Amino acid sequence: MIGGIGAIQFKTAVDGAESASPGLLQGGVGTQAGESVGSTFAEVLGQAATKTVNTLQGAEQMSIQALKGDADTRQVVDAVLSAQQALQTTIAIRDKVVSAYLEISRMSI
Amino acid sequence: MEPVNLFDLATRQSQWLAVRQSAIASNIANANTPGYTANDVEPFEKVLDRTAVTLAATQTGHLGAETANAGFNVKPEDPNGAIMPSKNTVVLEQELMKAGEVRRSFELNTAIVKAFHSMMTMVVKS
Amino acid sequence: MDALTAALKVAASGLGAQSERLRVVSENLANAQSTGSTPGADPYRRKTITFQSEVDRASGGSLVEVNSISRDPSDFPIEFQPGNEAADAKGYVKMPNVNTLVEMADMSEANRSYEANLQVIKQARDLISMTIDLMRNQ
Repeated sequence: MIGGIGAIQFKTAVDGAESASPGLLQGGVGTQAGESVGSTFAEVLGQAATKTVNTLQGAEQMSIQALKGDADTRQVVDAVLSAQQALQTTIAIRDKVVSAYLEISRMSI
Repeated sequence: MEPVNLFDLATRQSQWLAVRQSAIASNIANANTPGYTANDVEPFEKVLDRTAVTLAATQTGHLGAETANAGFNVKPEDPNGAIMPSKNTVVLEQELMKAGEVRRSFELNTAIVKAFHSMMTMVVKS
Repeated sequence: MDALTAALKVAASGLGAQSERLRVVSENLANAQSTGSTPGADPYRRKTITFQSEVDRASGGSLVEVNSISRDPSDFPIEFQPGNEAADAKGYVKMPNVNTLVEMADMSEANRSYEANLQVIKQARDLISMTIDLMRNQ
């Protein structure tokens, strides 16, 4: 439920930037040869988004367990805190990606 | 299994905790009343099993909070200690311990709701 | 009336009942030596208090209230005090049927119950406050 919101916004931003200028997130000319070596920037971002969604879902599951009555309090607190951290980071990255894309799109050729 | 809405579950649990608190209050107030048997609510798991179908309902206002007991069964609990000559089955220490449990669960409940609510608004903001 | 407000109401009734009980105990203690004023007269007779529970329709909780304040029917102990104004022909005086130790024990029980009811009020109040706090600091 909650993970969906963050992931959707994030993934949309990444995919939108990717489709608009395909070479943008792949590091330009110089790294074309290096694509097979490491993952592209888009993939890295995608993985980060997936991790965040998983953390959020984990926190949600732990909280539901806690509400039903049997979960270790400290574990619940830890899960929720990591979820908040992950979400904060993801949102910051999302905002940076969007503003970077806008800035690049404004550059004169 | 159907997905359970976190906020609905939290609301239901806090209602259950409130009913439990009032049962504990009745027990403590009547600790010296002859013939009074201690009451307690049915366990929360039983409540969940009972309303498993309706918990995923989309109408959040439809959780049945009209009556003071909000649809939970409050019934006399089994006396598991010595029965006093006055037939009063309230053990004050047990009641106070139950009250402590209620408080801890309630604090966790409100903290969870607060955290997830802030996460949701965090995403929408900026 | 929601359950937490009901809890407050019930605990308040508990406080009232235990206060009455303490009042009775203090009356007994104060009059533990109160003999009669004429020869052969009866002294102070110990008071007893009983509670009863009453289900409050509005809140659904069991309030407690005083059932009755009556007198202890047990016999008066007799002491030999020829100079006392209540002494009969043989010099024996009927003393109040108040046992100080029993009254003290009753008093500490009443205190314990009073404290427990007070705890309930504090907790119910805190729970209500926590719920309202969810809305604050937006």
